[in-house]
Amino acid sequence: MKPYSGALPASRHRLAQILGFLVLGLTLGFLFFFLVLPVSVIVVKAFMGPQGFTLDYFRLLFANELQTTAIQNSLLIGLATTILCTVLCVPLALIQTKYNYPMKTLLSGILLTPMVMPPFVGAIGIQRFFARRGSVNLFLLEWGVIDAPIEWLNPESMFWAVVVLETLHLYPILYLNLTAAIANIDPSLEEMAATLGTTRWQRFKDVIWPLARPGYFAGAIIVFIWALTDLGTPLLTGYHETLPVRIFNMVTDVNDNPVGYALVFLVILLTVSIFIASKHFLAGKKFDMLGRGHVGETTKNLGWISGLPCMVLILTVSFVALLPHLSVIITALSDKWFMTVLPEEYTLDHFRQIFKTDLPMIGIQNSLMLASLSTIFDLILGLLIAYVVVRKLIPGAQILDSLVMLPLALPGIVLAFGYVVTYTNTPLDPMNNPIPLLIIAYGIRRLPYMVRSASAGLQQTSPSLEEASATFGATRLHTLRKITIPLVMANLIAGSLLCFAYAMLDVSDSLILAMKDQFYPLTKAIYALFLEHGKGELVASALGVVSMGILGGCIMLASVLLGKKMGELFRSG
Amino acid sequence: MRVVLDDMSKKYGTVTAVHRLSLDIEDGALHFLLGPSGCGKTTTLRILAGLETPSEGRILFGDHDVTNVPAAQRGIGMVFQNYALWPHMTVRENIEYGLKLRKLGKKEQEKLLQESLELTQLNSYVDRYPGQLSGGQQQRVALARALAIKPSVLLLDEPLSNLDAKLRLEMRDNITRIHQMTRITTIYVTHDQKEALSMGTQVSVMRAGHLIQTDSPRKLYHHPLTPFIANFIGETNLYHGTVASIDPKQAIIKTPFGPILARGHRCAGIKVGDSVSLSIRPEAIQVQFADFGQDASAVQVQTQENRFKTTLSLLTYHGESEQLELDGPGNTKVRVNVFNPPELDLRVGEPVSCFFPPDRVVVLKHEENLSSGT
Repeated sequence: MKPYSGALPASRHRLAQILGFLVLGLTLGFLFFFLVLPVSVIVVKAFMGPQGFTLDYFRLLFANELQTTAIQNSLLIGLATTILCTVLCVPLALIQTKYNYPMKTLLSGILLTPMVMPPFVGAIGIQRFFARRGSVNLFLLEWGVIDAPIEWLNPESMFWAVVVLETLHLYPILYLNLTAAIANIDPSLEEMAATLGTTRWQRFKDVIWPLARPGYFAGAIIVFIWALTDLGTPLLTGYHETLPVRIFNMVTDVNDNPVGYALVFLVILLTVSIFIASKHFLAGKKFDMLGRGHVGETTKNLGWISGLPCMVLILTVSFVALLPHLSVIITALSDKWFMTVLPEEYTLDHFRQIFKTDLPMIGIQNSLMLASLSTIFDLILGLLIAYVVVRKLIPGAQILDSLVMLPLALPGIVLAFGYVVTYTNTPLDPMNNPIPLLIIAYGIRRLPYMVRSASAGLQQTSPSLEEASATFGATRLHTLRKITIPLVMANLIAGSLLCFAYAMLDVSDSLILAMKDQFYPLTKAIYALFLEHGKGELVASALGVVSMGILGGCIMLASVLLGKKMGELFRSG
Repeated sequence: MRVVLDDMSKKYGTVTAVHRLSLDIEDGALHFLLGPSGCGKTTTLRILAGLETPSEGRILFGDHDVTNVPAAQRGIGMVFQNYALWPHMTVRENIEYGLKLRKLGKKEQEKLLQESLELTQLNSYVDRYPGQLSGGQQQRVALARALAIKPSVLLLDEPLSNLDAKLRLEMRDNITRIHQMTRITTIYVTHDQKEALSMGTQVSVMRAGHLIQTDSPRKLYHHPLTPFIANFIGETNLYHGTVASIDPKQAIIKTPFGPILARGHRCAGIKVGDSVSLSIRPEAIQVQFADFGQDASAVQVQTQENRFKTTLSLLTYHGESEQLELDGPGNTKVRVNVFNPPELDLRVGEPVSCFFPPDRVVVLKHEENLSSGT
């Protein structure tokens, strides 16, 4: 027998390696130009006056009551949303981990759906329902609960409208993190505490909470920052005294009014310090689970009757959470609707309008194109980054991982703002054509999901499967194509669906970067229609329903493919 | 193909996984790398496969220096401890993978596929996925896949460790049979000394990154070089002592038992006053019970040398054999295996006279006296 029969030429191996490092360089370059640079520009400009270093912009910022109120409001929105989510999720998570009741899988799925419903679309619905002559007031009047219509959406209660909308949208993130953390606790630890005669509350306080705390904070921090920096909901609710809306309004004239830099810098500082604080102080120490003893079925099985309270609770929460979106659907279908709780007549006319007028179709087409391209970008880059990190192909691969996770901490408004100020008057100027920057912004912000998703798959795939391929003479690329990718395909599809869905409904990048009608993505088209007088709001609702359909479909598919791994994508740590 | 490891070392940072290992494996051998976990045997195998590069030294396949040749170009076949079967491919696709990479003709591919299927008796499973096979069948697919490409060297990394005891015995025979049919130079890593003893032509024992002894299974068992090997391969009684007198034929070692006479082998390099260890296999020791006036091992004890008075402290009956634990002088313990034990009503506490046949007493240098790695 000839030695090295059929072996591959060495040049092909070198080629694969060169390609690998090329991709790596590209990744780093991309992250530099579209993540590090825009943020740096903001930071520098926030401190640079015409005469060099200055703190003037911050002085101006804090002297302006409008700005300080906005800061205060946003912090309160974040805090209130986090607290409400916690109050909602702790009992939910405990019930879900301790009890089995009829139809649990289905109900658990329904409980998660609000996460995939764009809250800013819900805001449209809430306006209809809670208007002075809206359905809620009419309903209450009819039943004699109130005598005169209540001003639900006066400036003070608008704060709570935003908080409630954010809570109803974000609670699944905290819920997923909390259930994962509690489910990971060895049930025998709690049983042990029970044998010592502790009460249920003591067991929660002394055993479950300390062990679940890192998981709780991983989710809570995302909830806080998302609620704090969400642009769409306050904008469409009409609650404009918030940080994101102020930033949105400042983007266009930031060169005349550099206070905007200071404001965005403040947001960066806030989010970064909150992340650091939560990781190092709030979450406390992460305890590794020791080996688990063999424990039998620890979840209690409940029947139809004893399980009824659980089922009712979950259904109620889900129903309330979906109410704003339900109202959007009703609005989109309504024909004659005046002074009645529900519309008198229904029609599909507004959906027909979508295809007859230019703006909605432009929005759909643009978003489909942008989301597809950004998803392809995420798919390729995300897989390669996950591969390099999980297989430790280069020294210090973990740093690359942390770098890619940065967009999770960086709010969309910050990034979009950074793009505008960095790339105005360059070939990438969003005033001329925002398409390249939109694709990049969509891509970079969803890259963490893709990397997490692909990493989860790769970690489950033993490296020996790839090594085995190498022993047969396969190059790294051949192995990647024939062995690795097929094995993590489910994760890649799920990750892509998530990236695609979230890109389709991106608000901050779309609203800030797309400045001309012809480039409007779906969300900006909805916003523009919403501002139009006459039937605009109705068509906006119909378009909102279409977008909910797209998002819902994508996320459901992704959760089927990812199964329990879904929760891991929404963790900060 | 002859495989040579020439003064090869592997370091991970400050940790030395393999220390200056030199080994010459002849063409067609079934060579074992044996040692406890963490001894560097798997690292050595991965270096032979080209999955790791040595920090120092050379690897030769035949006359070719393959030290820096990547795994893909070495022409090896490897069976991983977890088999590393691709779960998304059928048995056929798993086996054909390597053949396709070699760009062989359809007919040639099919022929090689069938050959390896026959060798491993897998013909009826070709269209199954690995998940549909039992552990033993998966193991055979891994073997078939490695054999199909007709490798010049076959590397097996603990191939039987995931199987239950009975299947392991069956697969031992299988691998031996396949090796005899193919005569492919095979390097087999295991921590199971029984596997190595029963299958290997040559066995290299490693410990903490050092290669300690390479010998035939028989030599390793009867003439271990160090107390570690004596203890690791089979069971033994180890005693510390000092050399009282020594000549080319025999040595007398002072021990807590009193002087013990060791006759024969491998006493080179020891001088009077040296601290040494003695190894006596449990089955080599002969015992006699005072009360019954007869020898339990049914061999008449004739000499007075190496005869000691002990007390029976523990007795474990196995049917075909009986294990005795005896308390000797100076807090020593003696373990004795008596095969085909006579029907005696033995009681703990009874006096026992035991005898160490001088030609079965092995004198061992302490490990630290060994020059490192050879």
